[in-house]
Amino acid sequence: MEIGPIWRALMRNKTGAVLIALQIAVTMAIMVNAISIMQERARVMARPSGVDEHNIFHIASIGFAEDFNERVTVEEDLNALRALPGVVDAIQSNSVPMSGGGWSMGLQTEPGAEIDGTGVALYFVDEHGIDTFGLELLSGENFTATEIEWRERTQTKWPDRTIITRAMAEALFPDDPDSALGKTVYINDDEPITISGIIKQMQAPWNGWNGVERVMLVPTHTLFGSTRYIIRTEAGLRDELMPQVEQLLAEREKGRIVRSMRTMDETRERSYRGDASMIKMLTFTIVLLVAITALGIVGLASFSVNRRTRQIGTRRALGASKVAIARYFMTENFIISLAGVSIGAALTVALNMLMVETFALTRITWYLVPLAMLTLCVVGQVAVFGPAKKASSVPPAVATRTV
Amino acid sequence: MLSMQNISMVYRTDLVETHALREFSLEVEEGDFISVTGPSGSGKTTFLNIAGLLEQFTGGRYELDGRDVSSLSDAESSAVRNEKIGFVFQSFNLIPDLNLFDNVDVPLRYRGFNTAERKRRIERVLDTVGLASRMKHLPSQLSGGQQQRVAIARALAGEPRFLLADEPTGNLDSHMAMSVMELIAEINRDGTTIVMVTHDPTLAEMADRNVHIRDGQVSDITTDTQFAKVATG
Repeated sequence: MEIGPIWRALMRNKTGAVLIALQIAVTMAIMVNAISIMQERARVMARPSGVDEHNIFHIASIGFAEDFNERVTVEEDLNALRALPGVVDAIQSNSVPMSGGGWSMGLQTEPGAEIDGTGVALYFVDEHGIDTFGLELLSGENFTATEIEWRERTQTKWPDRTIITRAMAEALFPDDPDSALGKTVYINDDEPITISGIIKQMQAPWNGWNGVERVMLVPTHTLFGSTRYIIRTEAGLRDELMPQVEQLLAEREKGRIVRSMRTMDETRERSYRGDASMIKMLTFTIVLLVAITALGIVGLASFSVNRRTRQIGTRRALGASKVAIARYFMTENFIISLAGVSIGAALTVALNMLMVETFALTRITWYLVPLAMLTLCVVGQVAVFGPAKKASSVPPAVATRTV
Repeated sequence: MLSMQNISMVYRTDLVETHALREFSLEVEEGDFISVTGPSGSGKTTFLNIAGLLEQFTGGRYELDGRDVSSLSDAESSAVRNEKIGFVFQSFNLIPDLNLFDNVDVPLRYRGFNTAERKRRIERVLDTVGLASRMKHLPSQLSGGQQQRVAIARALAGEPRFLLADEPTGNLDSHMAMSVMELIAEINRDGTTIVMVTHDPTLAEMADRNVHIRDGQVSDITTDTQFAKVATG
């Protein structure tokens, strides 16, 4: 290998090589940190909501008629929905996971206004809540029909029982979350509420919240004027049942409007639309940067080949085979790329530290750095292949040309 | 050493066919010092390119050191050039970014010698041309005559049996030209076969045989050169 002479020659004519190495370094720093952000976004997007997303849809019902009886309508709607063939179960609730809008309260293990409660998202459900959402009850028991209360918008009193997620149990009782079942916690500073069940997982309506899995189910029907029905269907029947449900509700009661019917899949897609767009934008940026870097390498190598045509001919005359000439340029590029990715590794870590400190982003995964180094070296070799091949085709007779 | 029989070289384009060499025959014996002269466009450089395996010819037969080199592959031609032929070019063709040591090292690396062997050869040939003390200098730090000496050292480092020189003094003043010619003559006296293309009749006279080319053919071979006269007394 001619690494020594190539390095020494580069050092004597280094402007172009240094610029390309710096371009590779900057590309690597941006690429790795962008991938790290994408990984973080993808991880957030991939979090399970805890509910049977593919078979659930929801629809809003808003009463407007003067004689609109909300309680009767809800009871009859739920009976009709649950009787519909293909429907597994249905409930009235105030919100669904990932919808972006819902209720939150604070729970505390001791009563008192001076104590900071642990934030929790709450869903008003009846005894069909666990079944409708497809939740897994880890311990305790479900609500019973007799426990379900009717709540008006102005009411401040809370039921005396709740079912919470495992994550909420861990937040309330970090030393012994298994002991949460049966314990009394306090809502509204001093209203006691007993934990009657623990469910494995369920997400809050807000996916950006750091307590996204802290959820409580409250055994309540609401009388807020507008409500939302959540319907779970048998597998594969969701899309078929959606128009039927819409028609059923519209025809059953003319004193309200039904709207905003949406699947949970759509709710998830809307919820993470910003993250998905960011991933696409960053992917495009990375591809663009790598392409520009590759073009820079092609440009430098092509210029180098054109500038050194006589030198290549001389080398050929002195015994270099075509392969040896191509190898010379590939090696030269590899040295530049190696210098670039080495600087890039340091730059990547520095940029990441800055971003972690400034924007509270996560640290890059260790393997991204060597992977990016390898990728950019391979990109460099692919990019230089054309110019190297062109160099190898310079005939040895060029050495004797005087013009 | 070198035997060309009825070599022809035709350059073709869509419109024109140019016969650079036609029915060109030449025999060069081991240890010969041949000068090749002729007017511009006569085919001197084409002859040199073919003799040095820098170009494929279109017809005829060429044997170099007893081996038919008419249809060698590119890799085989490269290997033969590297092992058997040394080149000295009019413009020296040193690599400007490499110091003298690395310049002389170029053909030796292609030969596959180990580091110690390369170093030994480089130091020896640079010493032969009187530039051992300047091996870390760049070509641009040398005079034209010194650069040509380095080029000669590079040609000799692989110990070729055949040295091809293309106007080796074309870019030098008369003093430096004479110094380089003396070096070439000395190399020939040491047993290396030399074929030198030149425009300069005075330099051509220094060879023991002059081949004059006209219109792609050998028009005259003179053995009555100054060198031949001195050699034969």
